[in-house]
Amino acid sequence: MTAPLRAFAALAAEAFRDGLRRRFAFAIALFLLAAGMGAESCTSLGSASFSVNQHALPPEVLAGFVAPLLLSWQALAVLVITGVIAADHLARPLAEGSASLWLARPVSRDTFAAARLAGALCIGLGAGVLLLGTSAALVVARQHLAVGPALAAAGATALGALAVGALAMAASLALGRSAVLLLVIGGVPSIALANAVVLMGQLLHPDLEVGGVLGAIDRFGPPLGTAVFAAVAPWNPHVDATGALGPALGRLAVWALGATALLALAFRHTEVE
Amino acid sequence: MIALELAGATKRYGRRSALVGVDLAVPAGSAVGLLGANGAGKTTALRLLLGFARPSRGAVRLRGRDPFDPASRRGVGYLPERLRLPGAMTLRRFLGLHGRLAGLGAGELGREIEATAETTGVRERLGERLDSLSKGLAQRAGFAAALLARPELLVLDEPTSGLDPLGVRDARDWALAARARGATLLVSSHVLSEVERVCDQVVILREGRIAAAGAVDQLLLPGETLEDAFVRAVRG
Repeated sequence: MTAPLRAFAALAAEAFRDGLRRRFAFAIALFLLAAGMGAESCTSLGSASFSVNQHALPPEVLAGFVAPLLLSWQALAVLVITGVIAADHLARPLAEGSASLWLARPVSRDTFAAARLAGALCIGLGAGVLLLGTSAALVVARQHLAVGPALAAAGATALGALAVGALAMAASLALGRSAVLLLVIGGVPSIALANAVVLMGQLLHPDLEVGGVLGAIDRFGPPLGTAVFAAVAPWNPHVDATGALGPALGRLAVWALGATALLALAFRHTEVE
Repeated sequence: MIALELAGATKRYGRRSALVGVDLAVPAGSAVGLLGANGAGKTTALRLLLGFARPSRGAVRLRGRDPFDPASRRGVGYLPERLRLPGAMTLRRFLGLHGRLAGLGAGELGREIEATAETTGVRERLGERLDSLSKGLAQRAGFAAALLARPELLVLDEPTSGLDPLGVRDARDWALAARARGATLLVSSHVLSEVERVCDQVVILREGRIAAAGAVDQLLLPGETLEDAFVRAVRG
């Protein structure tokens, strides 16, 4: 292992431990427990649970609605968790002064920022693996759905988490923690809402052009929701979103790379106390 | 070989100049004391030398390289003025991370931690969290981190802060031991008597400029102490 890689691994492991020691980690654990119980309930719904005009809803139709909704909101929760952790995971050691101890060693700014981001991502994605993994296992086992869409949703969530984490971390170098938290907690759901509105509109009317703020957010923002929605859409036999997944993942990958580059650039120009 | 160099280094924060055209070259193996009143620019000079900030004008070299190049900080030990230890870590883990970043291998890391902790008087505290250490012990822990892996260049900013008289004497001995094995020392301090005992050269800053510099005995007028010379330099 090369020296920069060794330094990265050591700092990332410490950043992960640092994240786990925080009070927010306890809130995440509670959230995971509640969300896991929710997933258990949602996937327990059988064909007798819902009826339309006294006809029981076919199980595959019910599963086709429940499973995409379940995994979508959980994926968005993972993005918010990652963003909240990243909101001060780099800024805090800088403000407290402990960062200077590590940066006085032969450690580049890029390595340090990447390690802090990796620490935040490990916690966010660890929560994602537990949450999405449990839900995916339940929908596959109980509702007999294919595993492919769950894997695609996991990939979209990982890319989205990288984009959200890096953007939150870069923003934290210029803004206070409260402002970054507001951006994450307000921004991720807003983007997901815009993505959902535009995607649903286009599924119903392929020629529909959604304008206004929602349209602009969907067109120019990171497709956090679109990638996840398109990934889990094949579970619903009435929805055909096959053409949306590839472009959404591509755009999200560009956003993730751009956000990481922005973080590196911003941190190179940050003065350390 | 020049270990540290500031060439016409100026650092501005908005309209305020913390350093103005400072030229300073510290040869390898020498021990230089950086003196000055509060706000004279000592810590700013150290921040530029360690790559924590870029100069507004001029050039900075650390061991012949740009301080932003991580390779320039290989073999550097640093003790900051406001030591903020990551409180949730144990001292052993803290020193272990420093050792790994300094390039120590797994085999030598444990031995080096034990030896440095023994030297700095914190061996019994290796298993304790850093936020449980008293101010003096935290300063010793900071020293242990700075001395780990036998640095070739030791940068100490107010090294005796928080230490009791015994600790002050220990700190002097550690600095002298580092010097004896050929390390370069740059010490920023208000404790002139300690600087006089450890350093052979001093640089006195006043309002971001060098007011006096040279070998300690050359700066002193007959019958003067370093304190007299310091007062004369900073009051102009």
